[in-house]
Amino acid sequence: MPTVTPFAVSDEQRALRSAVADLMARHSSEAQVRTQMTTDTGLEPTVWHELAAMGLTGLLIDEEHGGAGAGPVEMGIAMEEMGRTLLVGPFLSTAVLVPSLLAATGDAAESGAVLPRIAAGELIATAAFAEDGSARLPARIATSAGQIGDTWHVTGYKHFVLDGQSAELLYVLAATDGGPAVFAVDAGAPGLAVTPLTTVDPTRKQCRLQFVDTPARLIGQPGAGVGVFNAALDACALALVSEQAGGARRAVEMATEYAKTRYQFGRAIGSFQAVKHMCADMLLEAESAVSAARFAANSFAEHAPSRIADLALAQAYCSDAFVFVAATSIQVHGGIGFTWEHPAHLYLRRARSDAQLLGSPSWHRERYLQQIGA
Amino acid sequence: MTDDELRDEVRNWLSANWNPDIDRASWAHIVVDAGWAVPSWEPEWYGHGVSDAQSRLVAAEFAAVGAHGCGHDRGNLFACTLHDVGTEEQKRRLIPPSIRGESKWCLLYSEPGAGSDLAGLRTRAERDGDEWVINGQKVWTSFAKTADYGMLVARTDWDVPKHQGISFFMLPMRQAGVEVRPIHQITGESEFNEVFIEDARLPAENLVGELNAGWSVLQTALGYERRFMADIARTAKDAKRPQAEKAHLLVELAREAGRLEDPYIRQQIARVDALATVNRWNAQRSKAAVDRAEAATLMALGKIAMSRILHETARVETEIVGAEAMLTGPDNPTGDAVTFRTLNAYFTSIGGGTDQIQRNIVGERVLGLPKEPEPYRNTPFRELPH
Repeated sequence: MPTVTPFAVSDEQRALRSAVADLMARHSSEAQVRTQMTTDTGLEPTVWHELAAMGLTGLLIDEEHGGAGAGPVEMGIAMEEMGRTLLVGPFLSTAVLVPSLLAATGDAAESGAVLPRIAAGELIATAAFAEDGSARLPARIATSAGQIGDTWHVTGYKHFVLDGQSAELLYVLAATDGGPAVFAVDAGAPGLAVTPLTTVDPTRKQCRLQFVDTPARLIGQPGAGVGVFNAALDACALALVSEQAGGARRAVEMATEYAKTRYQFGRAIGSFQAVKHMCADMLLEAESAVSAARFAANSFAEHAPSRIADLALAQAYCSDAFVFVAATSIQVHGGIGFTWEHPAHLYLRRARSDAQLLGSPSWHRERYLQQIGA
Repeated sequence: MTDDELRDEVRNWLSANWNPDIDRASWAHIVVDAGWAVPSWEPEWYGHGVSDAQSRLVAAEFAAVGAHGCGHDRGNLFACTLHDVGTEEQKRRLIPPSIRGESKWCLLYSEPGAGSDLAGLRTRAERDGDEWVINGQKVWTSFAKTADYGMLVARTDWDVPKHQGISFFMLPMRQAGVEVRPIHQITGESEFNEVFIEDARLPAENLVGELNAGWSVLQTALGYERRFMADIARTAKDAKRPQAEKAHLLVELAREAGRLEDPYIRQQIARVDALATVNRWNAQRSKAAVDRAEAATLMALGKIAMSRILHETARVETEIVGAEAMLTGPDNPTGDAVTFRTLNAYFTSIGGGTDQIQRNIVGERVLGLPKEPEPYRNTPFRELPH
């Protein structure tokens, strides 16, 4: 396969972007985001079925399982557009995290049973890995699994679980005597309690899971759990940086549009250098985030040796960039930006949540340094 | 002519004519006569009529065999400006010696009182018979000592708004009224000069473009300068392509200083690495962009980004070396280098337009934000406060 230059864009990719943008315009307006973010699950079935019909829930799923067999570059394009509008829904968990996790387990039976249903938009699923104190994998996994007869049972808890309220199927990282492993738990399983968390970002649902001898199915091999989850989190991070880049770009546009139309002292506030320079700085951060997200996606698509370092650097950068841009946008908006009714704060909420979701920027910077041998 | 045909023609010509032992002046004549000094110009004007992109290709063939004398249609701002806006007489008289390398030029634009606001310049040109008499002061002039001509903007009408009273001249530099003094920079170096002009004279035939239309001639010259700077940036980038090692200089500095385990230092290093890396990715995206607006946006942001990278790198180096940063001179190479980079970062954040002006440009030309009101837009220059 010929090596593609990192930033080349094919006609198919252009078409994908405009199709997703069009879908977002129809289903993820500010009013629709506000309606959905106040629901418990954030899941709107009509929107979800449209996402599936367009092939987006199956974008990362191979063709044999009913998906598009696309890669991180295409997912990045879709996520940029979803990030722009703050799409509410269990997309990151169901369409990115879980397919990546199953791909990493190499469990053909589970993949065959689950992935076609995700691609078809019939199943919401998530993966639970974090525990108290960190959004990454715990250094020591407190949740454990053991066998009673032929059946595995999970006991413990998971924190910061994406879309646990709407998921019908949960993949859980638990310790076993044979090492950490992935377990599948059904939403209604005995001994499972799902407690919604109150999140800063109302567009992104999280919950805490409690397991007491909850029956579970072992997926893949005991001992493989950490590797599988790390691979899934990297795939998820690639999508997340694109979401951050897309959100950052939109925040710059909103601030710039406002600076052109808001008049004080008889002139548009964007004509004041103090405001103009804030906008220029925002643009630099947003465009740099776009470059970082796209480069990292391409690194993974090309299986470049530097891909983990590229991703770690991009994740740290995009997190800081989106927070900076969304925060500065509120400042540019002034008083109106301080009101709940204005969407500026929704971007800051998303940005602050995204910046922690898969590890803090400083965690990713440290990961980058270790990758380059420092 | 296709690229391949052109390449063959240049190669054949070089193998028939180029000789590493030839003296510079004779070679320059041969190159100019053959049309290779300015390949993209018309044949009647010393050129070969090839495209802009192809002229780079010719320059690359010259560079490949180590032959000089090519590329004047890109790097010779004096000749390029005259080619576009000079009179027939000026082009015959001034261009050939310039593209043969016999006459050198420098830029007499900035003044102590006209930096970011170049149109506020106060160097005056007054007509005296067949000559112009020049009085004023110019600054930040590279190569003023060796130049034969200064590309000069000077005020010729004080009773019209500032942009409308400027004219463009080619000033003979080797005369009593022109005094060049090196500027002692904060880094200790002296790359630039001040030029004091007192009753210097130039022939009326050296007015370039119409009288009082100097601002538009200047835009032509600045356009060539920007293109040349972009060429230089491009070749510099290509030359140091294996940059992976270079990015980790801070890591090595911290390792040597025994600070690499310090989590604070580690975070600072990673931040700076990210700034530099992301800027490189921006540049790559700019090159790959099909959309011209996207490419232009990233180019405009690049200067602001580069200033920040240089200042931040120097700041983190200072954190790493700590007290050594108080010392300088050959006995203290570590502190000396850090201080040099700290101070030299201003070369980029002030030179060629300050970062603040660049943010105005990004805000206005890229984001479409309105300009500052210009209360003196229609005021005669003579009446401006200064």
